[in-house]
Amino acid sequence: MKATIAQYYPGDSPLHRLDPRAKFVAVSAIAIALFVRDSFASLAVFAAAVAVGCMISGIPARWFWRALRPLLWLVALTFLAQVVVAPGEPFFSVWFFDLSWRGLELAGFLSVRLAVLVLAGALLTLTTPPLALTDGLAALGRPLRRLRVPTDELALMVTIALRFIPTLIMELDTIMRAQRARGACFRSGGPVRRAKALVPVLIPLFVSSFRRADELALAMEARCYTPGVARTRLHPLHLGWADGALVAAAGAVIAVALLV
Amino acid sequence: MPTAESSAHGRAPSPLGMAVDCRAVSFSYEEARSPICALRQVSFTLRPGGSLALLGASGSGKSTLLAVLRGLDETEAGVVLLDGMEPGGAAYEALRRQVGLVFQVPELQLFAMTARDDVAFGPRCLGWEEPAVGDAVEEAMTLAGLPPSEFAERHPYALSGGEQRRLALAGVLAMRPRLLLLDEPFVSLDPVTRRELVAILIRLRQRGVTLMLATHDIDLAWELCDELLLLEQGRVLAAGPWGFDAASARPLAGARLKEPFLVQLWRRLGRDPASAPRSAAEAAEALA
Repeated sequence: MKATIAQYYPGDSPLHRLDPRAKFVAVSAIAIALFVRDSFASLAVFAAAVAVGCMISGIPARWFWRALRPLLWLVALTFLAQVVVAPGEPFFSVWFFDLSWRGLELAGFLSVRLAVLVLAGALLTLTTPPLALTDGLAALGRPLRRLRVPTDELALMVTIALRFIPTLIMELDTIMRAQRARGACFRSGGPVRRAKALVPVLIPLFVSSFRRADELALAMEARCYTPGVARTRLHPLHLGWADGALVAAAGAVIAVALLV
Repeated sequence: MPTAESSAHGRAPSPLGMAVDCRAVSFSYEEARSPICALRQVSFTLRPGGSLALLGASGSGKSTLLAVLRGLDETEAGVVLLDGMEPGGAAYEALRRQVGLVFQVPELQLFAMTARDDVAFGPRCLGWEEPAVGDAVEEAMTLAGLPPSEFAERHPYALSGGEQRRLALAGVLAMRPRLLLLDEPFVSLDPVTRRELVAILIRLRQRGVTLMLATHDIDLAWELCDELLLLEQGRVLAAGPWGFDAASARPLAGARLKEPFLVQLWRRLGRDPASAPRSAAEAAEALA
């Protein structure tokens, strides 16, 4: 079993080496700008920019495909909804589906937009280790501390949560195997029976998670963790000329896309 | 301890212990970049009622081998014969269900509201009738040193660490295994609890259950097992009865293990190491 959230693909491409803050700003700016204009020309500019990013990252295409796959049903649903409700002269009718060129056009447009959005996000998480990402978010959120938002603590919480996802998955696997060795079956029966079969797995998982959380809190206290106190970092973030270039490039892409 | 299953299927009652014949078994874990080879061409045999210590450094493939023997992982190459039977078919699956596997830190798997229900989980999964389940639970808890009169209604998480470990063992024993696999059963137990567990395992061996335990503790391995299987990076370094010459000492040293304490003692006393006692009690008797 593998964690599918916030997957990171280790590498040494220019994108991997960029500062997480710059990547986050560039990707969120593009994600917002994607929704400003409804024209195929601007969508094509964004798609081209993201495609270039994917190529620079040097990550195999199947990893991007893996990021897109869970969204296929959403794309399909969007497509279907557009086909049903879209305006325009139908050229083909089945039951209550009225297929019109205008509807197809709209459905295609929205699906591609969604795919570009997901790919841009995947580009960020695939080229940035989760820890760097939360560090970057904490740094970006620093001004919020003025408003007493505990940004560092929130970042640490996210970091810990991400850190323990693989641990929990491994533990889940162990417990499921242990119960299977005792004759449990998780794959047969109706939905109610399957849900009931999970009880022997979930209870031990919760119990050990609570125990682990307790121990982690104690260990952090023993190492003098105090919430609210400014901490130094082993690897401080550095903004370089490349990071400026990335943000400038993102700005240029957005400007071109909104003007064409 | 005839198994309910074999009688249900109307087969002739077999001897209690199961025979294992592992032939050139290989297994590897799928990883993102490249598969990790956990077992390479592992072969060994174990007679019914025999006891085998599985030794080797962490990551040498001990846990994987146990999981493969129980059928939790399918072999990639090679076969595991149980009672001389080839895999495939319902009879083989029935035999597999008579293989009990006790995980490392098995108390992780406890979940029921009472000790009785937790031990009954396995037999109920096997679809036994309720009276048979009750008998099996009673017998397993007694065998594991948790008298039902005292422990049956207790909440598993209210038990001490050693009691939880024995409860988890009872949960496996209740399925009346003919081959019992234990993965590091002595990890994180205090010395007293450890001796209690040793006593339980000796009782099971006397009943004729085939035992196989993965451990780092060579002294307990020496006390409990007639044979050893030494793994290194998934390969068999040595297999068979304990040896006492230079040729058998080499693989032990390769696995960063020393000879059992009592064997070393017998050597220093100038006695035949092959006749070294298995326990402190036997040593006292021999020296008296």
